[in-house]
Amino acid sequence: MASTATAPAPQPIPPSLSLPPSQFARLQPHAYLLAHLSPPASSQQPSIRANGRSPSQFRVTSANTGSLTHTNGSAVVRLGDTTAVCGVKAEILHTEDIASWSVSHSSSSSFASNKRRKLTNPTAKLGEDRTDSGDNESHIEDFSLLVPNLSLSTGCAPGLIPGAPPSALAQSMSHQILSLLHTSRLVRAEDLQIWYERPNFGPEEPEHHNESEQMDVDVEQEGSDEASIQTGEIKAFWVLYIDIMIISLAGNPFDAAWTAVLAALRDTKLPRAWWDVDNETVVCSDIVSEARKLSLWGLPIASSFGVFEADAAAGWRSVTIQDAEEERKLAEGDRKGIQRRWVLADPDGYEEGLSQERVCLVVDKPQGGDGKVFIVKMEKNGGFAVDRKELKELVDISTRRWEDINQILKQC
Amino acid sequence: MGGPIASLNPLNRADGSASYKCVSTGSNILGSVNAPIELPGRRDALKPEEATIEVFVKPGTAPGGVGERYIEGVIRNALGRLILGRENGYPRRGVVITLAIVGGESVGRGGSYLPLLPALLHTAALALLSASVPLSMTLSATVLAVDSSGEIIREPSVKDAKAATSLHALAFTSKGQLLLNESEGAFDFGTWETVYERALAICHGTSTLSSDGDVAMTENVDSQPLEGVLRDTVQDQIHSEYAWKIDAA
Amino acid sequence: MTDRRRINGPSGGTRPPVFASSIKSTTTATERPQRQRQPNELRKIFLKTGLIPSASGSSYLEFEHSASLSAARALPKSLIPPSSSLKLACTVHGPKPLPRSATFSPNLVLTTHVKYAPFAARKRKGHIRDASERDLGVHLETALRGVIVAERWPKSGLDITITILEAEDDRWWGDAPDSHDAAWGMMNVLAGCITAASAAIADARIDCLDLVAGGVAAVVVDESVDGGEPSTPRLMLDTDPAEHRSLLSACVVAYMPARDEITELWLKGDNSKASVGTDDKSLSYETLIDGAVDAARGAHSVLAEAVRESAERLAGLETGYST
Repeated sequence: MASTATAPAPQPIPPSLSLPPSQFARLQPHAYLLAHLSPPASSQQPSIRANGRSPSQFRVTSANTGSLTHTNGSAVVRLGDTTAVCGVKAEILHTEDIASWSVSHSSSSSFASNKRRKLTNPTAKLGEDRTDSGDNESHIEDFSLLVPNLSLSTGCAPGLIPGAPPSALAQSMSHQILSLLHTSRLVRAEDLQIWYERPNFGPEEPEHHNESEQMDVDVEQEGSDEASIQTGEIKAFWVLYIDIMIISLAGNPFDAAWTAVLAALRDTKLPRAWWDVDNETVVCSDIVSEARKLSLWGLPIASSFGVFEADAAAGWRSVTIQDAEEERKLAEGDRKGIQRRWVLADPDGYEEGLSQERVCLVVDKPQGGDGKVFIVKMEKNGGFAVDRKELKELVDISTRRWEDINQILKQC
Repeated sequence: MGGPIASLNPLNRADGSASYKCVSTGSNILGSVNAPIELPGRRDALKPEEATIEVFVKPGTAPGGVGERYIEGVIRNALGRLILGRENGYPRRGVVITLAIVGGESVGRGGSYLPLLPALLHTAALALLSASVPLSMTLSATVLAVDSSGEIIREPSVKDAKAATSLHALAFTSKGQLLLNESEGAFDFGTWETVYERALAICHGTSTLSSDGDVAMTENVDSQPLEGVLRDTVQDQIHSEYAWKIDAA
Repeated sequence: MTDRRRINGPSGGTRPPVFASSIKSTTTATERPQRQRQPNELRKIFLKTGLIPSASGSSYLEFEHSASLSAARALPKSLIPPSSSLKLACTVHGPKPLPRSATFSPNLVLTTHVKYAPFAARKRKGHIRDASERDLGVHLETALRGVIVAERWPKSGLDITITILEAEDDRWWGDAPDSHDAAWGMMNVLAGCITAASAAIADARIDCLDLVAGGVAAVVVDESVDGGEPSTPRLMLDTDPAEHRSLLSACVVAYMPARDEITELWLKGDNSKASVGTDDKSLSYETLIDGAVDAARGAHSVLAEAVRESAERLAGLETGYST
């Protein structure tokens, strides 16, 4: 391989002409990684990735929250050399600014159902919890209360032009994050509602859940119509602008970005807000003790994988046209311990360039549950190497990853 | 449940085109393929050994957005493994696939594209066939929703998809390999496995590989396997286009 | 107004939160933060190079928290931060071939790009660069163009990108905008940008005449201790606009200590009113510029240390390869 890259040598290549590893890695990336993963049997070396990790090993991850002054919540997540900064800024959307509000929502018919949900056992099965969605949950989607945007135009990698509009990659990731926020129902709609309590109702604020909950039980029996009249109405919503800046890109930006979003949302504090009748506007209190954190549903954690195939550089036809015969050969090779495909966890930039097939798994383990793992999102695309059996293994790896990230997020 | 309605070559000027209508989801897609074509001005981005595949998804009523970029990437990755982009005449050229959503519900902000994905993939595959782009194999795809009672709904309507606990889009190659899986919502692996079984049955029937590599299909509860529907569409087209030859013979 | 390449917020628009304490002007719950430093004492700068390995050169810069901010962080009472401290990341890509479409250039073509993160300031910033960000980019380019030995790289380009994660305030949040108002915070940001870019360029091993550093000085008017008439104007180095009642004028320089040269000078404000009557030479523009140069000298020492670290890292890498 080295002889093809260097000038034609008259005699067998002298050692001085051999390439240093860093150049070999650039010229023949596929062969370089393959050589690491399948060392000759005689060398007694273990199969290891070019970056020194084992196939299922993730990079060192660290998270730091709350360091940005002007945000409601912020996080910096480093995943090896990939760094994502996420800042959450909350703004207020008045219901009078929502065109469809007055038509679709007569005061708060959803309030009762919302409270009912609250009364269900919070440690109940995750799946049940999430499906039990009233009108309430659709608020987040219908009124665009979550606005995530990911930016790669920060000079984070050589190929990306700074200041250019978001690339297709950045756009897809923004969409993936939004869609994951919606499907995982991570943020509760009730956390984002700002209520107006009619004065005759008493001095309590709607945020005092314990009291209002108690009272709600009574009200519910009288019927939801009366409940809505008595409990007040939604006057505004918090809108969370979730901006993710990828400061440094060295592979697997999605995991870094999602972990940053998760950490930032966990850190997010919303001020106590109420409808001020005199000013006809929403007013907030700046007292820290009155602000409350978002109560998130679960902790969905993402792990991404790339598939590296040994034969991709050899005859391309044999790769693309795989028949039963070849499958059998592969299986045979597996039995003999000759591996032709590697599923690499948390691929770095170098490995990403060499893998066509990607898998992204988002799993969650509900607190207080029976330790059962739920998959929130499972994506696999671009190849045939990962099928049922492999996916099952990857779910196990992702579960272990969940524990790790859970620990990291708890500490920050 | 009615099967999908597909036709080849509805457009005259494109190298290849297809229209596809899925009755149960109500989606209606018109797709065109131009290949191989020169991609001027993008010389830096072209790969020296392979064709560059470009996918454009155009929503019917709303202006496009980030959701389209995402689904374009998904379709491009899936088709990238099927198109023989190193075949003569393809390296350094482009395969441009344009998919227009003609009918059915449009996808909102941050909404899920999964209910539309099988129709988009089928349209693209048929259009590629009609443009005679060399393919290593074809694909078939389906989308399944699992509702709160654990029941699997095949090709759910937009309303069903919204109400579902989890939504799964799966695509299989004509050899029965899992080419693509996109699942969202809360589910466990056991659920996914039943979904997988069902999807495989929908796409391939209870397929058995016969000795000559041909897929023999048997009908089951899900009526005709999708694989067969695509096959029939192409066969019908060939019959009508080569009628002069067949008649002469 | 909808941006098709981004996820947009509600179409009706949203409003930033209004705090009750800022409406009731009579009961000022919080006091303006006070400067705890001496007039010629600079904030500490944290500067680190090489944090972004995919770039040819990179640096991260952070200003020390002001006394009020660190107090607010240690014991949070109010959700309104008293002041903020600059945080920015800078990357350098290149020298690299110019794009095909570019015309021939015998010199290195410098491109600078400064962008605030949407969450960098009190008010949410847009995704598309606004006039002030473009302005910063131009100022930064002038500051650096005089430093880089551009003839060494014909037909090449150098991209410098700065992402500001947290910006400086233009004034104290509790103050109403007044006539003295200008984007004072921008000047601190520019000084930080110059220092950080200088470190990143050195980290990318681009030949420079000297390490250029940025510094800010301003003429400020403070509330007098007894709360009566404002005090007489004074010159201060490395001012945090949130800590002063008003800034009369401010100056930012990009300064090369070894050659004693200024590559960029930006002066804002009007000193004439301050010096009228006092006949005080200490508030002339010259002293203001000298003050900014002094501040830049201070930043230079930090810069030199960061660049030394960067060089040591490179030396370590090279020995690592040879073994």
